[in-house]
Amino acid sequence: MPQMGVSVAEGTVVEWRKQTGDWVEADETICEISTDKIDTEVPAPAAGRLVEVLVAVGATVDVGVTLARISTDARPGEPHSSEDDAPPAATASAPAASSSAGVPRGAPSAASDRERRPSPAAGGSAARRYSPVVQRIADEHGVDLAEVQGTGREGRVQKKDVMAVVAARGGSATRAPSADAAEPVMHIESPYRPGAGASVSGPYTPPEGRPLSRMRQAIGVHMKQSQVTAATCTTWIEVDVSRIEIARKKLAITALPLIARCTIGALVEFPLLNAWLEHDVHTVHEQVNLGIAVALGEDGLIVPVVRGAQDLSPEGLSRRIRDLARRARSRQLSPDDVHGATFTITNPGQFGSMMATPVIAQPQVAILDVEAIVKRPVVVTDQFGDDAIAIRPMVILGLSWDHRALDGALAARFLASVKKRVESYEL
Amino acid sequence: MSEMTYLRAISDGLRTEMRDDERVLLMGEDIGVYGGAFKVTDGFIEEFGADRVMDTPLAESGIVGTAVGAAVVGLRPVCEMQFADFVSCGFDQIINVAGKMLYRQGLPVNITVRLPSGGGFSGGPFHSQNPEAWFMHSPGLKVVAPSTAEDAKGLIIASIRDPNPVIYMEHKNLYRRVKGEVPEGSYETPFSARVARPGTDLVVITYGAMVHTALEATEDLDDASIMVLDLRSLVPLDEAAILAAVHECSKVVIVDEANQTCAAGAQVAALIAEYGFEDLDGPVVRVASPDVPIPFSPTLEAAVLPSVDRIREACRQLLEY
Repeated sequence: MPQMGVSVAEGTVVEWRKQTGDWVEADETICEISTDKIDTEVPAPAAGRLVEVLVAVGATVDVGVTLARISTDARPGEPHSSEDDAPPAATASAPAASSSAGVPRGAPSAASDRERRPSPAAGGSAARRYSPVVQRIADEHGVDLAEVQGTGREGRVQKKDVMAVVAARGGSATRAPSADAAEPVMHIESPYRPGAGASVSGPYTPPEGRPLSRMRQAIGVHMKQSQVTAATCTTWIEVDVSRIEIARKKLAITALPLIARCTIGALVEFPLLNAWLEHDVHTVHEQVNLGIAVALGEDGLIVPVVRGAQDLSPEGLSRRIRDLARRARSRQLSPDDVHGATFTITNPGQFGSMMATPVIAQPQVAILDVEAIVKRPVVVTDQFGDDAIAIRPMVILGLSWDHRALDGALAARFLASVKKRVESYEL
Repeated sequence: MSEMTYLRAISDGLRTEMRDDERVLLMGEDIGVYGGAFKVTDGFIEEFGADRVMDTPLAESGIVGTAVGAAVVGLRPVCEMQFADFVSCGFDQIINVAGKMLYRQGLPVNITVRLPSGGGFSGGPFHSQNPEAWFMHSPGLKVVAPSTAEDAKGLIIASIRDPNPVIYMEHKNLYRRVKGEVPEGSYETPFSARVARPGTDLVVITYGAMVHTALEATEDLDDASIMVLDLRSLVPLDEAAILAAVHECSKVVIVDEANQTCAAGAQVAALIAEYGFEDLDGPVVRVASPDVPIPFSPTLEAAVLPSVDRIREACRQLLEY
C-alpha cells in the first residue's frame, strides 16, 4: 500500500485491474485504491508477471503492506500454469516454464486473450495501437479492446468493430455513465412517465440498503470530528459585488476567484484566521494555501488546494481553480493537491441558496461560505449624503470560525475587511 | 425552378442582382461587346449598357483597383478575371488594398472578384490553376467555391451583397458540364458547407469540381456508406460541419484539385487534427494535385489532377485501415 500523502495511514483496495498470471508493464495500473484523502490508481513498480495478489478487493490495510508480487524474471509470452494448453505459435520456442505454480486459473478469459492478443515482445505492435475514436468509445463503454476482434488491416480494431461489441451488449453490460442515465425526454414529449404501478397500501417495503461509499464515510468522519473538536460559530455579512460583477465580465472569469482574491488580502491582514489549531498547538501561516471545495456530484466533495495563493492574480487563481476542479472531477488529483490548506472557501451559491453554516475543515480555524449573488434593492448614499434605493448585486458571505482560536470581534473585522476589499475592488 | 447549366446560373445570378440593385456593375476584359471569354455576360451590355458592363484594358491591377475605389464610394462592383491564373497581376490590390481597407480605415470594400478556375480540359499551366488558397491565407477576404448550378447563383448573389471583398471561384470545367434546377428570382446561398451525400463510414471533404469527382468515385464503393461534404465556402470555413462529419464518420479523405502544399484541404486537415482527434479512426488522407504546374498534355494532366480512380483507391485503403 503506497504512501499517498503524509497523513495517510491506510488504504482500501477497490479493484484489481490485473489478475494473477497477467503480464504487466512498468507503470501500468495494477489496481485501484481508496484512501480517506483520495482515490487513485497504483502503477506497477516494474515490468513482470503478476504472480500473487495478497490483498482482496474491499480489504483495508496499513501503508507499507505488500499488495501483490510481480515476478520480474518472467518473460512476456510465456504461459503460466493456468494456461494448460500448448503455447501459441509465435512463442513456441520459448520454454513453457511456470513462474507461478499452483496458482488457480485467474482471469476467466486468459486463454482466449492469449490467442488474439499478440504478445508484447512479438514486435508487430501496430495491431495493439488503437485510434483515438476507438479508445474513446472503449473507455465510454468499458470495452476491453484486447478482446475485440479487429477487421482492419493486420487485425487492427476499427471503430465499427468496437461499435459492434457495444451494440451486441445492448448496453446492459456497459459501465458507461450514459447507459445508467434515464433516456432523455425529447422536447416535444411530455416528461411524464407512468410509474411501475406500485401500490401505496400495505406495509412499506424499503429498497435494499447499500454500504455507504468510501468517500462519504471519510467525509462523515472528518465533519463529525470537526464538530466535536471545534467551538464553531458562524458570522454573516452582506456585500455589494457590483465591482466584482464588472471585473468578472471584463476578465471573462467567474466571481469566485475575484472574491477569493479579496479574501486572501484579508487573510494576509488578519493572519490569525490563516491558521491551524491542533490540540493546543497554534500555527499561524504567512503563506495562504487556499482550499476550494469542489462538488463531485452526489458522490461527495473534495477540497483541492491552491498553494501560495497570496501571490496569484484573480486570473491566476481562476486558472488554478479551474485546473484543480477539472482534475478533481476526473479523479486525477495527486495527494499533494488536497493537502496543506490553511483556509477554505466553499461556494454552493450557484444553486441559489442564501445562507449556510459550513463546517470547518480541521485543523483550520475558519471557512468562508460564498452564497448566491442576488440583485436586491439596497439603500445607497451619494457623495452629497443623500440616500436612494438602488438595485445592486448582493451576496451573503458566511464565516464559520473556531471560538477556541479567535473571538467574534476578530471574525467580524475579518469579514469587514473582505467586504471593504470587494466593494472597493479596483478594476 | 428551371434547369440550367452552372454557367447560365452564374449569369442568372448576376442579371438578377443587377436588375434589383443599380449599384451593381461589372468590370472585366471583353465582358461587354464580346460577352466574356466564356459568355457568362453574354447580352448584358445590351440590357444594362456600357456604364454598368465595362470592358477594361488588360490590366487586372487596374480592374481591381478601380473596383475598390468604386466600392468605397458606394457601388458594388463585380470584377471578372478572364482566367483565375491572371489574378496574380491584381494581387496587390486584392491583398493589400481591398483586404485591409476595413481594418485600416473602417471602409468596407464591397467587391466581388470572379475567378474562372480549374483544369481538366488541357488548358495548360496558365489556364488551369486553382489559386483559392492564396486568398484564404490573407485576412479580410472571403472565398467561396460553388459546385452546383443552384449554389452558383445563390453564392454570386450572396457575394455581391456581402460587405467584404469576396473571391468567387467558378470552376471552368463545371460551366457546361453541370446542370441543375435553379430557383427563379433572388436568393442567397449561405457561406456554409453542404452535405452532398449523407454517409456514415467515411467522409470525403472537398469543394468545387472535385465534389462531382468525389460523388462519382464513391457512388458504389464496396457497399460502404460514404458521405461527401461540399464546403462551398472556404473563408469562412464551416468548421462545425466539418467536425460533425468527422464525428459521424471517423475516417476522412480530403480532396483538393489545387496543388497539395498549403491547399484549402491542408487547413481542413489541420482543423481535424486539432479539434477532431478523438473522433478519428484512421489517418486523415489527402488527395490533391502534386506540386507541379498543370501540364498541357491530356495524358499528363489526367495523371496530375485527382481522378475518380485515385479518390476511389484512397477511400478503399482508408476503409480497410
